[in-house]
Parts: sequence; structure tokens; C-alpha cells
Amino acid sequence: MAEYEVRFASHPEPIGVPAGTLLVDVAREGGIEIQQPCGGQGRCGRCAVRVESGAVRRRSVLRLSKSDVAEGYALACQTVVEGDATIEVPPPEAIERRLVTDHIAPEAALPEGYDPSRAQTIRRVEIRLAPPTMDDQTDDWGRLCTALRQAAGIETLDTTLEQIRSLGAILRESDWHVAVTVDLGTNGAPRLIGVQPVSEAATAPLCGLAIDIGTTTVTVWMVDLLTGRVMRQASQYNQQIARGEDIISRIIFASKGDGGTVLRDLVLETINEMIRAMGERLDIGRDHIVKATISGNSTMMHLLLGIAPESIRLEPFITPINHLPRLPAGEVGIDMNPAGVVDPLPGVASYVGADITAGVFASGLRDSAETVLFIDVGTNGEIVFGSSDWMVTCACSAGPAFEGAGVVHGMRANRGAIEEVWIDGGTYEPTYRVIGNVAPRGICGSGLIALVAEMFLTGIVDKGGHINQTLATPRVRRGLHGAEYVIAWAAESDTGEDIVITRVDIDNLLRAKAAIYAGFNVLADRVGVPLETAEHVLIGGSFGKYINVEKAVDIGLLPDMSWDRFEFLGNTSVKGAYLALIDQAARNEIAAIASAMTYIELSADNSFYEAFTSALFLPHTDLSRFPSVAAAMT
Amino acid sequence: MPIEIPVDKWPGTVNTVTLGATAADGGTRSKVVTIGGERSLPFMHFENETPHPPVIALEMTAARPGDWSQVLLDAWGDVVDDPARWAGACEEAGADLILLMFGLNDADGNPVTPDFAVGTVKAVLQATGLPLVVLGPGQAEVDNEILVPVADATKGERLVLGLCEDANYRTIVASAMANGHLVLGRTPMDVNLAKQLNILMTDMGLPLDRIVMDPTTGALGYGIEYGYSVMERLRLAALQGDAMTQLPMLVNPGYEAWRTKESKVGEGVPDTWGDWAARGTHWETLTAVSLIEAGADVVVLRHPDSVTRVREAIDELMTLETA
Repeated sequence: MAEYEVRFASHPEPIGVPAGTLLVDVAREGGIEIQQPCGGQGRCGRCAVRVESGAVRRRSVLRLSKSDVAEGYALACQTVVEGDATIEVPPPEAIERRLVTDHIAPEAALPEGYDPSRAQTIRRVEIRLAPPTMDDQTDDWGRLCTALRQAAGIETLDTTLEQIRSLGAILRESDWHVAVTVDLGTNGAPRLIGVQPVSEAATAPLCGLAIDIGTTTVTVWMVDLLTGRVMRQASQYNQQIARGEDIISRIIFASKGDGGTVLRDLVLETINEMIRAMGERLDIGRDHIVKATISGNSTMMHLLLGIAPESIRLEPFITPINHLPRLPAGEVGIDMNPAGVVDPLPGVASYVGADITAGVFASGLRDSAETVLFIDVGTNGEIVFGSSDWMVTCACSAGPAFEGAGVVHGMRANRGAIEEVWIDGGTYEPTYRVIGNVAPRGICGSGLIALVAEMFLTGIVDKGGHINQTLATPRVRRGLHGAEYVIAWAAESDTGEDIVITRVDIDNLLRAKAAIYAGFNVLADRVGVPLETAEHVLIGGSFGKYINVEKAVDIGLLPDMSWDRFEFLGNTSVKGAYLALIDQAARNEIAAIASAMTYIELSADNSFYEAFTSALFLPHTDLSRFPSVAAAMT
Repeated sequence: MPIEIPVDKWPGTVNTVTLGATAADGGTRSKVVTIGGERSLPFMHFENETPHPPVIALEMTAARPGDWSQVLLDAWGDVVDDPARWAGACEEAGADLILLMFGLNDADGNPVTPDFAVGTVKAVLQATGLPLVVLGPGQAEVDNEILVPVADATKGERLVLGLCEDANYRTIVASAMANGHLVLGRTPMDVNLAKQLNILMTDMGLPLDRIVMDPTTGALGYGIEYGYSVMERLRLAALQGDAMTQLPMLVNPGYEAWRTKESKVGEGVPDTWGDWAARGTHWETLTAVSLIEAGADVVVLRHPDSVTRVREAIDELMTLETA
């Protein structure tokens, strides 16, 4: 048999191999290890190499685009040598970025041409007042208002008794030279936030908060209002989880005794802990935080504000209030300047709240001439289908699995979370990637999706999600909760115990994905527009920064469409809240979006249950809806 | 005035399934039962002929039943203590096939063992020439423990083994495949769940014509409408060409009817309810006939008198003529 010489850019000596040798084997010969997470089955695309020159034959180019192949890329596990060749092994990060299935959320960026002095509602105006004389006996407050009108054109100003009490002393101590902080608001009169001596204001930070209250996860961004930039981001599980994992159980808890107060205190504590921690880190005191925009589902918004949410749960499912006014921070209880303002963003209905109006804004759906499907995957899945001309929306209860809660070894998408998994179909051995490249502590939502997809494609679970206990691998075993699969052994985990996924976990994930997929279908049926007509599928949610859309299609969470039509946006709710915080125009647009959406109540639609049970399968009872998965299974 | 009856054309056909095997086919049955093959909704003879009429199974238990209505125990007499004699009595009562049900205990009150199960099945096979359905007590571990040796010991008989449920089907399907038997899959009154179980079982390589499905039903007055509607929707899907619903259906009106208060209780009920035994068999018969009209291919009964009455109804439905 003919012998050929293969050269690797990183290896000085050419390697002699017989014709027909796989590139991975050639590389191994030369001491070069090429990662093969899927066990060399040509499924994962992680072993892509570039053939600089020479003759090779690609048995499969799955995962590679036409342009990849044109550029010389080939899967090392699927490509054989047919002549002398020169091969380049790119670093793994470069390959990941190339793969069309992997979607990484972009960082929040300032809007183009952003001018904080024009866009913001918060103004800090320096004014020098004419001191009172026997000839000018205008009162202190009137003097301040007149100066403010002259300096900044602000006509009327709301204030509090507390501010009036301290005003006289501040004006005199500062020798009538003060910095006045005002919130112009987008509705209602401007409100006085504070008056301080100019000398003090010169170095004082001016901060705001963008807060997203999810049923499972609460996210807070601290923002420098002088520049509009995000200074720090934090996320924590909502402490209310201990009082019920989903919205309905929270509402029931709130309706009993002092349950509403308990839940309000818990979410405030969750938020305030993060604010305090960030404040310490950045050396920002509470008084410097003057504005907060709040996004979140309607129930979370009501619970935060201590408004009884009972009617959300009961027919005909209405909220006490969708469009809330701006509120003084002191009344809300957020740990910030008590004279500051809290701006709760508007919602649409009981189950489509500010998180979605803010999310739709952040997603850019409103500017799209083409049909777009937007989903926010969280404890509730909210779905918006539409374009710049029309928008319909619905919500379905998915449970907390996608946020890593309600799963034995689930966790949020933090350092130590397994976020991607490949399983070798021959040995059932997994390969995983951990956020931060540390020893794993648990599995986050995107990791769970990838894990179940891989278990399914390799036959560890059947279409019903049952773990096949007859497989010859120690990783499948019986545990406390029935059958389970070990993804990381105690020796390799950070916790010192095996990290497993159980039958119950898989059931939870199955129900979660079925609810969301059923939501897609019912919504599309109701408007008579097939899902496939969506030009883009925009995904928001608390997956962290990453989702593999192929895996999400494999388990039947997302509709089977070309992978490049999906776009992962990360937490769109907090992004929308951030944009509303720093830009009045964004805030106004979010209100317009809230009014423009048509809401469909799924509980009034008896086709939902049918769609749900048929989606309660891998990938779906009707396999013809998932041709790419059907192909991958054979 | 002549009325023109609209005739539907259906693209799908229900699978034809044969229960039991004669010596020529590797079994020992003197009679086999073929079900399915429908190409129209039940008894729409003007659309398509019904190739195989619905059949009647009688249910018997491997050990004297502890929770059966006294009416049933009186009707069967002391054969309930002897599976072989009971099987013979079932054949005599006119059953087309027999459903043998194992509980958690044997006749002496001890937990069932593989030996007891195999012995009982063999005794029943010897006592009757009818095809046999063998069901475990419905607890995954016990079912698997007794059904595997039963399947091995009766290779080639084309028994129907069950229950296969979504959480426990692999072992039973595998041993049915290895020994030339059939399986019964049961799902709780839902079209999608029924389809899903059929997909899971066929994914293992079991041919569709060796599966009978039990979509679960309720008794008259106890949810029969819901069961009826699920059966009807399954059958409509089957006729429309959905392969995973094209399975013959077995339902258990005997079990359902005889656990209603009306059938089970004879004392302390209003006089207007009439004679207890007659009431019970009425309940069973009416439940069974309704389900036959919903598309049942096998109805499982408990009272010998009900067999005659349901048979009359089937005969009548099979010879219906349209004007």
C-alpha cells in the first residue's frame, strides 16, 4: 500500500502513514492529540483541522459549512489521507467560534451615538442661587425652583417633606452653590432627588440599577449614569424559591396570612444583598444610587411591590396593574437613595410581564420587517411571534429546570457549571466543558440540554426519556431517585461527590421543553402562520452566556430550523431594563411595545394540553417535525 | 326519498394481529383469534367491510380473587380456586380467548414466584385450546420476574404478555421478541401517550403486528365518555394513516364495570336499583357494547352471562344493513 507524508504545522518532522489513514491517527502518531468529544463519530465538529495542501478524502463534512470546506477545513476523525499533505490544527477556541451550532450571547453595549446628557432622565445640574436679601425675600424652595428653571428649563418639581426639611441648611452651608439631582421621568412631573454642595457632588458617583426579577433568578446590573456604562453584573437565585418553585405556588403562598410580606422581604433581601456587595466592591454608597428600572414577570413585579397577586391566578387572569407609575425608592424598599426613583417597566398581561416587553425591545424584534420568533426561556417560557407590524404573545409554565433549579445537581450558569457535554456513543463516556475551566460543581441549563440530547442520541435514554439500565457502563446505575447517569465522578468534581442526572431530572427537563414547544405551536396555529416562516429565532433567558441550538433542537425544545437562523441574546429582560435606565427613548418604546402586543391566554385554549403531551417525548411524538434529529438518530 | 350516505375514503388500515398459534405454527392452541384489519370506523359496513369482528376475552385470576364482587364469585362457583378448571369454564362460557391475571400473591398467600407463574400458565394452556393473554400484577419488578420465565416456557404460543407501560416495557418486549409472543401496552387515556409507547416498543425492533394496545377506559357512568373519545381519536388517526396508532385495541370493561358501586355492592342500596346480579351484568354489558362501538377489538369481561349478551350485540352490529 502506498505510503504518504503528512506534515503538521506544529510538528517538525513529516509523518509517514499508509494511504487511507485517518487524520486523527496520523496526528496521534506524531504525538499531537486532537480532541474528539463525540468519540470520533463526526458528530461534534470539534476535531476540525485545516488542510493547507495535499490530497485527502472527507468521508463526512457534517458540522462544516460549504465555505469551511472551501477554506480547507476537514473533520480529522472523518478524513483519510490520499496523498502527501500539510495540516494545520487550529486551537480549540477557534473551532468553537466557527461552529454554527454554538451561540454565545453578546455583551451589553451602549447604543450607538449614545449621549448620556440627552438620553437620561437623571440630571445633575450645578446652580448658583442668588442669596436672599431684604429686597428679595423669595422662600428657599421658590428660589431653588426658579434657578433650576433658568438653568435647565425644568418647570415643576415634586419633592418630599424630608427634602424640604433639610433644604435650608444645605443651601446656606454650601453658600448657595449646589448640585441638584433631578429625575425628569418619562411620565409625570420631574422629581427632586437631592441637593448637595457642589464640592461634594464633583467627586460623587451617580449610579443606577437595572434589575430583572425572575421567578428563579434575580439579576442586577449596576450602571454609571454619568457615562451609561455597566460597572458590574450580579445574579442570584431568588430567595423566594424556598416558598415555592413556580409562579402559581408563590401566588398561593402570598395569599395566605402574611405570605405576601414574607415574599416581598425575600426578594428585597435578594436584591439588596447584591446591591450591597457590588457597592462595597465599587465603593459606591446607597445614596449615590438614584434610579432603578425593574423588569420581571407580572407576579414578581407585584410581589416586589407588595401588591396582592391573587387575581393573576384566578379566572379571568388579570393583574391589578400593568403600567405602574414611577415610585419613590424609599417606599419600595430597595437599598438605594430613598429619594431616588424606581421605575417598574410595563407588562402586557398576567403572564406576559415587563421581562418580555423589555426583552422584545432589547431583541430588536420591533425593528424587523421579517417575521421573528422571540422566546424567553426561564421558569416561565414567554413567546412572542411577529414583526414590526404585529406581535402576538403567550406564556407557558416551564418550571425552573432551564435555570438549573429543581434538578439534583443543577446550578446557575456560573463558574463550575458544566455547560456543554458530548458523549461517546461507543463507550458512553462523556466529555464536558465547565464554565471557568475548573472542576465541575454542577450542571447549568445549557449543560442539561446538551446532556439530555447526547444521552438521547447515544441511546442512554429512549424517546420517552427513560434511562436504559441494560447498558454496559458503570455510569448508568440505580440511585436514590431511580436510574441515573454519572457525568462526573467524585474524584473529578469540585464537590467531592458524583455529579449525576436522574430520571426525575430528565422528566423535569422534558416537561419544561414540552411546555415551551407546545407554546410555539399553539401560538403559530392561532395566528395561522407556520413557525417555519420565522426568519429569525431570537432566544433570551437565563442560560448564562451560551446555548448549543443543535442540542436544543435535538431534545425538541426549539423547532427544527437551520441553525444559523437562531440567535442567542442572553438575558434580554435585564438588557431591556438597562436600556430603559439609560435612555428615555428606550423607556418610551417599551411602553409602546406593551400596548402593541396581542396576548393569547393558553389556559383558555384547549389545544395546549394536546400539543404539550405530544411534545413530551424526544424529540416529539411526531418525528416528522424534526427531520434533522431523525437523520442524526440513524 | 332516497338518502345518499356520504362515504369516507380512509388511507389507513388497522394492523391485523393474530393471537395464539396452532401446532402448525409452533404453538399448541386449537383455536387462534385474528383481530384488526379495519378500514373504516366501527361497523360502517357501507364504507368498508369489517374483516374481523370484535372478540370477547374472559378474565380469570391465577389465585382466587380477593376483591371481586360476590355476584361474580357466585356465578363462577368453586372453579375460581383452580386455574385449569376456571379456564375450561371460560371456554365453555363462550369466550374467544382468556386473560390470565396474576396478583402479587399465589393461592397460599405467598409472593408469586416464577415457578408458580410458569406452572399456572402451563396448566391453563393445557386446560383450554383458546389463545391466552398473561398479565403480571402491574409492579415492574414482579412483572419482569414472572413474565420472562413464562415467555421462555411457552415459546411459540403467541401469548399476549403485559403490561407494558412507558416506565417498564423493555424486559417484556425483549422476552416477547425472543419467544415469538405478543405484548399488550397500556397508557392512561391519552392519544399521545399511546402513540409514544408504541414508538418506544417498536424502536426495540418489535413488529407492529405483535402489539395490542390498551388505551384504558372507564365504566359506564365513571368516565366512559373520556375513554370512548380517546379510542375514537386513536382510530381516526389510524384510518388517516398514522402508523403508530394502527394497533388493535383491547379494553377491560369487566374490570371497570365490576368495581363500580352499582355492581359491587348488593346491600344498603335503594330498592329501585333492582336485582343486584342483573344490575351488575347490565353494567358490564352496556359498558362493553359502548366500547365496541368506539372501536374496541377485544373486550375483557368477567361474568359468564355477559359473554352471551355482548356476543349478541356484536352479531347484530356485524350484520347491520344500511337502507
